[in-house]
Amino acid sequence: MATARQRPVETIIETAQEEAQRTRERIKKGVDILLARDEPPVGVTPKEIIYSRGTLKLYHYKPTTDEVYRVPVVFVMSLVSKPWILDLTSGQSFVQYMLAQGFDVFMIDWGIPRPEDKRLRFEDYVQDFIPRCIEHVQQATGEEEVSLLGYCMGGQLSLMYAALYPDGPLKNLVCAATPVDMNGMGLMKQWTAPGHFDVDRLVDTLGNIPPEMMLRSIEMLRPMDRWGGYIRLIDNLWDPQFVYGFRIMYKWTNEQIPFPGETYRQYIKDMMWENKLVTGKMTLGGKTVDLKNVRAPVLHAMAQHDHIAPYAAAGPLTSLVGSEDTEDVLLKGGHVSLVAGKNAVGRLWPKVADWLSHRSV
Amino acid sequence: MPAQNGNTESANADVAQLWRAWLSETERQLNGFFGEVLGTEQFAQLSGNFVDGYAVVQHSLNQSMERYLNTFNLPTHSDIVELGERLNTIEERISSLETTLHNVATQVGVPASAQVTQLRPRRTRQPKP
Repeated sequence: MATARQRPVETIIETAQEEAQRTRERIKKGVDILLARDEPPVGVTPKEIIYSRGTLKLYHYKPTTDEVYRVPVVFVMSLVSKPWILDLTSGQSFVQYMLAQGFDVFMIDWGIPRPEDKRLRFEDYVQDFIPRCIEHVQQATGEEEVSLLGYCMGGQLSLMYAALYPDGPLKNLVCAATPVDMNGMGLMKQWTAPGHFDVDRLVDTLGNIPPEMMLRSIEMLRPMDRWGGYIRLIDNLWDPQFVYGFRIMYKWTNEQIPFPGETYRQYIKDMMWENKLVTGKMTLGGKTVDLKNVRAPVLHAMAQHDHIAPYAAAGPLTSLVGSEDTEDVLLKGGHVSLVAGKNAVGRLWPKVADWLSHRSV
Repeated sequence: MPAQNGNTESANADVAQLWRAWLSETERQLNGFFGEVLGTEQFAQLSGNFVDGYAVVQHSLNQSMERYLNTFNLPTHSDIVELGERLNTIEERISSLETTLHNVATQVGVPASAQVTQLRPRRTRQPKP
């Protein structure tokens, strides 16, 4: 019986010791976070800049295989967030994964818009910057064809490019979490409705839309996520992997960048208010952006719990394009975990690599 | 007795699990509640007014600052932006010249050299069957 009584006591002592150890770890890691010490490195996959103009940079990542697929892949990032979400950290980098699968990978980094970039419009991005970048990819690889992989707003830019240049060099189009039907944008649509949102006054006064404004509006879509995240962090502060993942995501979420003013005005008026991408009335540089002109194979990956690009807004994409070879995939996760982090490693990345591999020879 | 140990650990795990489940559920419910509140017409109106007010305040601050800087003969934000725009125009012209030169070089048969300095891998990879 003595042994029987000792066991619970030992268990309690062991649990207490373990909890004390965890508390020490929590305090240490909590202090690290508060003081922003030992910030995890991000975007470190070896690359070189092969073209730059203004804040734009075109990266070419160093291939890691002796033999690559013929068609290079160009990642097109959103205008409002930093591109390193696609190149997080070793083992959690989409770029690194694609390199390991034998792709020749490039990325268009729009950079952080400066005040003088307030006049940039969709025309500049779709009809000037993307075509110039593709020309440089063609020169660098000696290949005529390229595949575009656009994330979120990068997907919208890629889609517009595909619609405007149906006879161009686009071989394949991969969109991830790309909203097209803005009537499905939920709260975001309601907050920016013409009756009570004066986009002209905002852009005319501020030039570029400040990153804080973008960040707060995204946060307000799910106000409790931030606080829930903090509570989970405190709960898991003893766990180095959890803390590491949290810090990376926290850093990315909070490093929003300004939205170029004129592009924002177009985004609100043409897309949010009039839904022109769906109605086929969007024009850029005098040309109509008719999604039926998109003839390249299209893969669209969406997340079940995406609150930034909800399924109602993203879902119709493949039904609007003129391509015969289209595929939708709806994966578990949210807007960010679709493309980054542990979940993406086993879900989206293999799917994209497999889909592209059969269309990149 | 290992069974008793197992029970204690299981009880601890259950408590932790319950607490995490409660947290997730509370977060979901509160998000739903706030979603309803933030989705009302009144909130949209309120946020629109706030943005308007912010723009008005920012506008008058900008104007005052410009007046002060002009008084002291210092460059204003608009002056710097204008300089940046001129630099952008120069960059665009250079970029356009580069493209033209490249096209001319291609037309006359001069091989356009790639800017890539790294080794080029073979582009013959085939997908797995």
